[in-house]
Amino acid sequence: MAETKRKARDEPKHMAKKSKKQQKKHSDSKTPAKKDKKSDARKRTGPRLPNSLRKVIESLNHNSPSNSEDDEEIESDEGELYAEDLYEYQEGVPQEESKKNRRFDPVENFEYELPQNFKDENVLSDDEDEDEDDDDEDNGGSKTVDANGDEIEEEDDGRHVRMLQGITGMPSEAFEGKKKKNNVVISEVYPESEYNPSREILDGDGRISMEDLLGPLQDKPGFGKLRKRMDQMKKSEVIEAPLPQAIREKVERGTAYKLSKTDITKWEPIVKKNREAPTIYFDENTDLGFSTVGAIASEFVPRTEFEKQMASLVYDDNVMEAHQKDGSRLLELNKVSVEDEKERQNRIAKMRSLLFCHEMKAKHIKKIKSKTYHRLLKKNRLKTSDMEVEMDPEAAKEQALKQEFKRAEERMTLKHKNTSKWATRILRRGLQVQDEGTRAAISEQLHQHALLSRKMNSMKDNSSSSGSDDSSDDDNVHKNPAVSDQGRASKLLEKAKEKTLKILELEDEVPKSGLLSLPFMERGLKKRKEAADEEAKLALQEYESSLKQMEDSSGVENPKASTSSGRRIFGAAAKTHAPESRNMVKSDTFYANSDSEDDMEAKENTADVGNNKSNDSQKDVHLDSVLPHENTEIVQDSVFKSFDDIVRDPGPKTTYEVAIFASDRWRKMESRDKMDAKSKRSLKSVGPEHNQDSEEPVKEVGDHSDSESEGQMVDGVLALGPKPSYELPSQAELIRQAFAGDDVEEDFENAKLEVLNKENPEPEKPVLLPGWGQWTHVQKKKGLPSWMLNDHENAQRKREEALKKRKDARLKHVIISEKLDVKAQKLLTKTLPYPFTSKEVFEQSIRMPIGPEFNPAMTVGALNRPEVVKKPGVIIRPIEFKEVNPHENTEGHKWSGQKQKMKKGKSNGTKMTKKTKMAGGKTMKVK
Amino acid sequence: MKVKVISRSTDEFTRERSKDLQRVFRNYDPNLRPQEKAVEYVRALNAAKLDKIFARPFIGAMDGHIDAISCMAKNPNNLKGIFSGSMDGDIRLWDIASRRTVSQFLGHQGAVRGLTASTDGRVLVSCGTDCTVRLWNVPVATLKESYESSDNSVKPLEVYVWKNAFWAVDHQWDGVYFATAGAQVDIWNHNRSQPVRSFEWGTDTVISVRFNPGEPNLLATSASDRSITLYDLRMSSPTRKLIMQTKTNSICWNPMEPMNFTAANEDSNCYSYDARKLDEARMVHKDHVSAVMDIDYSPTGREFVTGSYDRTVRIFQFNGGHSREIYHTQRMQRVFCVKFSCDASYIISGSDDTNLRLWKAKASEQMGVLLPRERKKHDYHEAVKNRYKHLPEVKRILRHRHLPLPIYKAAALRRTMTEAARKKEERRKAHSAPGSISTRPLRKRRIITEVE
Repeated sequence: MAETKRKARDEPKHMAKKSKKQQKKHSDSKTPAKKDKKSDARKRTGPRLPNSLRKVIESLNHNSPSNSEDDEEIESDEGELYAEDLYEYQEGVPQEESKKNRRFDPVENFEYELPQNFKDENVLSDDEDEDEDDDDEDNGGSKTVDANGDEIEEEDDGRHVRMLQGITGMPSEAFEGKKKKNNVVISEVYPESEYNPSREILDGDGRISMEDLLGPLQDKPGFGKLRKRMDQMKKSEVIEAPLPQAIREKVERGTAYKLSKTDITKWEPIVKKNREAPTIYFDENTDLGFSTVGAIASEFVPRTEFEKQMASLVYDDNVMEAHQKDGSRLLELNKVSVEDEKERQNRIAKMRSLLFCHEMKAKHIKKIKSKTYHRLLKKNRLKTSDMEVEMDPEAAKEQALKQEFKRAEERMTLKHKNTSKWATRILRRGLQVQDEGTRAAISEQLHQHALLSRKMNSMKDNSSSSGSDDSSDDDNVHKNPAVSDQGRASKLLEKAKEKTLKILELEDEVPKSGLLSLPFMERGLKKRKEAADEEAKLALQEYESSLKQMEDSSGVENPKASTSSGRRIFGAAAKTHAPESRNMVKSDTFYANSDSEDDMEAKENTADVGNNKSNDSQKDVHLDSVLPHENTEIVQDSVFKSFDDIVRDPGPKTTYEVAIFASDRWRKMESRDKMDAKSKRSLKSVGPEHNQDSEEPVKEVGDHSDSESEGQMVDGVLALGPKPSYELPSQAELIRQAFAGDDVEEDFENAKLEVLNKENPEPEKPVLLPGWGQWTHVQKKKGLPSWMLNDHENAQRKREEALKKRKDARLKHVIISEKLDVKAQKLLTKTLPYPFTSKEVFEQSIRMPIGPEFNPAMTVGALNRPEVVKKPGVIIRPIEFKEVNPHENTEGHKWSGQKQKMKKGKSNGTKMTKKTKMAGGKTMKVK
Repeated sequence: MKVKVISRSTDEFTRERSKDLQRVFRNYDPNLRPQEKAVEYVRALNAAKLDKIFARPFIGAMDGHIDAISCMAKNPNNLKGIFSGSMDGDIRLWDIASRRTVSQFLGHQGAVRGLTASTDGRVLVSCGTDCTVRLWNVPVATLKESYESSDNSVKPLEVYVWKNAFWAVDHQWDGVYFATAGAQVDIWNHNRSQPVRSFEWGTDTVISVRFNPGEPNLLATSASDRSITLYDLRMSSPTRKLIMQTKTNSICWNPMEPMNFTAANEDSNCYSYDARKLDEARMVHKDHVSAVMDIDYSPTGREFVTGSYDRTVRIFQFNGGHSREIYHTQRMQRVFCVKFSCDASYIISGSDDTNLRLWKAKASEQMGVLLPRERKKHDYHEAVKNRYKHLPEVKRILRHRHLPLPIYKAAALRRTMTEAARKKEERRKAHSAPGSISTRPLRKRRIITEVE
């Protein structure tokens, strides 16, 4: 764009500029941006000069300030002028291409100077509009150059045109135009006037300044702005002498570096924050769009005709309303009253509890191991089933079927007819040989078979002859009440009576050992037995009464009751069968007696012991009391005697304690003698006056019991205390006396030696190896080999050195252990780890545990979080800039999610628009 | 009178759903658990051992090239795609997941020296010793295509022939420019057949170029005159040059810290610099025993991977003087290029033996979907290990690596040499007038000058 514009601007200008244009084109193709233009300009200004020359020129300029007319700009231009002079040497390079030639530029700018002649006002204004600030500067600079460099140019023009012609191959007219123009400008065609200033005015003092031009505009509306801009222009009009390229580039680079440095510093707070954060997050949840069907459905917008029609139908007001109403009705139907629900729940709960009870009962029954109980149960069940059979024809049929099935089975298998392996074996061996149980079992089996087959018969012919002598109750039940019933009942009763009597008479065998022989068991058994006996007696009475009744009534009777009673008694009898005995009781009592006796004995013993003890103690006391009497000849101090008494008198316990207090050696006779001697020495002065006094309490001790003796003794001491003649031994002596027994220093030395030996063990003494040289007697002759001895010596020396090196080698009363605790060593670091600066900080850092067992669940996650949290499979983008308040509280998730948040925002935006669209659509539909 | 009773409301103890965990109240009084530190220490030890047991970093090799792989480029927009260029002029696009070639880009006459993809992942730029820059359209890799047609060759979009051979190329992040390195640094636009700008500072060949991903107008190059140069596109000029004692083979900017970059040097060390203070390195990363050929930062900016001429790949912490990990296999030859995957969990290395190798960034990491509990457990292990890593036993286990013998020996030799040099320096210092000899710190020692 810029290029085209420039071209447009250049168009109306002179043809002579063609070459310039070409040049420009060439450069333009390389420069993509406007910026490059600037750099071009910069390049043009800088001729290549050696530094020394430059300096000379500069000094010249400074020396001849008379040349400079009014401004600095001109001065600088002059510098360039000189430079151009010197530049002649380098003219071999084509000037257009080197871009250092200024001669083509001034033309353009010269035009700028002469607006009236050529009426280029529009173009000029365009120019200014386009690049106001940048170009003005350049133009201004070049303008002045033109003014001064004119003459030189004129001289060179001819040569230059020729040269251009040669290079470009264009006719000289193309270049001529410019020159003509110049000529035109210079030659004053028009008479001099204010519209047509003379050459002097243009060049010299009388030239029109900006102020002159601005003068008439003073009261126009935009004047202030214009002036301001003019001022700015003036300020920026300074152009310095171009530096050599190398230096210039260096300066450029320096500034660029500075700028980029400051620019990049903006990242510092962000980077700092990230580095200090305990965790950085890269697992920002990526927006996957809608997750639920509902969300997707809500986003649906009808697009096609069909969809729209459907939508209009579905979202029709009537339809909606109807649907709503219908829905509410449906809900009403769904309602259930509270009472109903409660009732239902109660019912269910009841059923459940009943079921549970039944279950428990069944379980309980199943657990009972008693065979009799089960037999009874079975019978009962049968009975009830019979009842049912009688009552219910259906049940009867079923029963019959079952019976039939059983019988058929029996007939087919002959299971109970001695055909089984077991039965045949027993029969082969002979029934007589068998024990009673087996025989019973066989007979039982046979009976079973008979029963089954007979039933079949009975089904056929209803005879009941065979089962009359059966003793089993089952048959009785089945049979019709026969005539013999009465007799049988009495028989039964008699049997029962006999049995009970037998039981009563039978004295129980007594288990003399085991659990039942224990006293409490015995007592319980006894009680039970008594109860059973009583019951048996009662039963007997009942039997008798019932027998009497039977005899009396001899007709009506209740066998069931009798049987039941008989059974009951039998049960009671069975109970009495339980192992129970008087002997046991006896034994028990015996044991009890013995126990008590033992106790008594023990008591006695203890008492004896006590007595003995007391006796002993008394004896002791006596002895003690005797002792002083004996000792009276030697003048014994009463204090020590009494002390002795205290030590011995109050039972063994106290003596023991004292024994602890005083070490064994104290007991040794020597020390005692010493003591005695000491006491003698110390208390010689006390003299014999005490003796009588001392004797009295001792005697008293002898008379009185143990408990009193102490007090007495104390009394005695007290009585002795105030005596002036007694001197207490000195403190040191007392301490020495008190700790005379324990040799602390020696103990400590031993302990230290032990520690030393443990930490620096003494080397083993060299010994003859068993089996070596024993039969040759070489070793015996030579003694131990020399190396062994050397080794030993070395080890010994080493040990001594080590001992000397120890920290506590010179400290007599100190043991400093130098043992290394290997286990503890594992838990310690040798040096302070790198990031930590002090021991305390490091220890603090590993003080608290971080495991889930030792911390609440809320904090475990935070404690264990890794430094970088990322999701596998999520692309991590490089950091993006975002203003960070350094004093802000750090929130880990915030920064990394910036991009996503932006995206979300965008997506939200789009959603919003969509929604509004939809809403619009809806309203449309509603209409 | 104050009576204290235990009161627990049922609300706190009833679960809302049957899947909820039963709430357990504990007394966290440390006095009740005197052994907790010992327990955690043992756990740390076990975690370290488990780490060793599960360290299986090598995932697989991608075989297909018939000459040494000279350069690679990752697709910034596609995790699975990786481009590789070889010395015979072959460029391939690989599917990392299946470890197969998706397509081939045929056209280069000489070795491909530089590869890069635009940020949107649609255009691949390659350059090489045949003095051409080629732009390719990256095929959208669907699974079917990659499996069905094996010879999936792509024609280049553009071929720009230029005056000199190229050594490296890098694409601007989120921009339209890419820079090539050769006799000078050229900045290209996608749509122009000629560079829009070129920088020349000094006469030596530029061998590597990298744009700053965080600050897309900055770029750094390294040249065969042992220099590292910074450029700023906005100022349209180079900004600063740093000359070191040895050549820098490759440069990488930290994507999370735009002022920092790390240079992979010929002297087997890597040097991290702050672009604002080039007079000394921020950190010297030592461990390789031969020239470091390539370097790439993890997208997290916390670590970087280096490939070396000593046939190993190492992973360094961005602030660690020694490597965290070393990867090597018996068959892997000189490593010429390494890349971190865009999700920071894989590493790809290309080597002289014509293979690309895929590694895990964390050797013992469990790949695949992790249950939350599993993840928590891993986190805990990691945390405990991190906490007790200074204790001797844990440290020993964590630091132990099994090295190939040549590398082990070379490292030992290197150690003795540096030790000897240090001793010599010490002695010289001790035997000369105090203050006359000043030792320069290692961070400055390898820097010759900083040129403005």
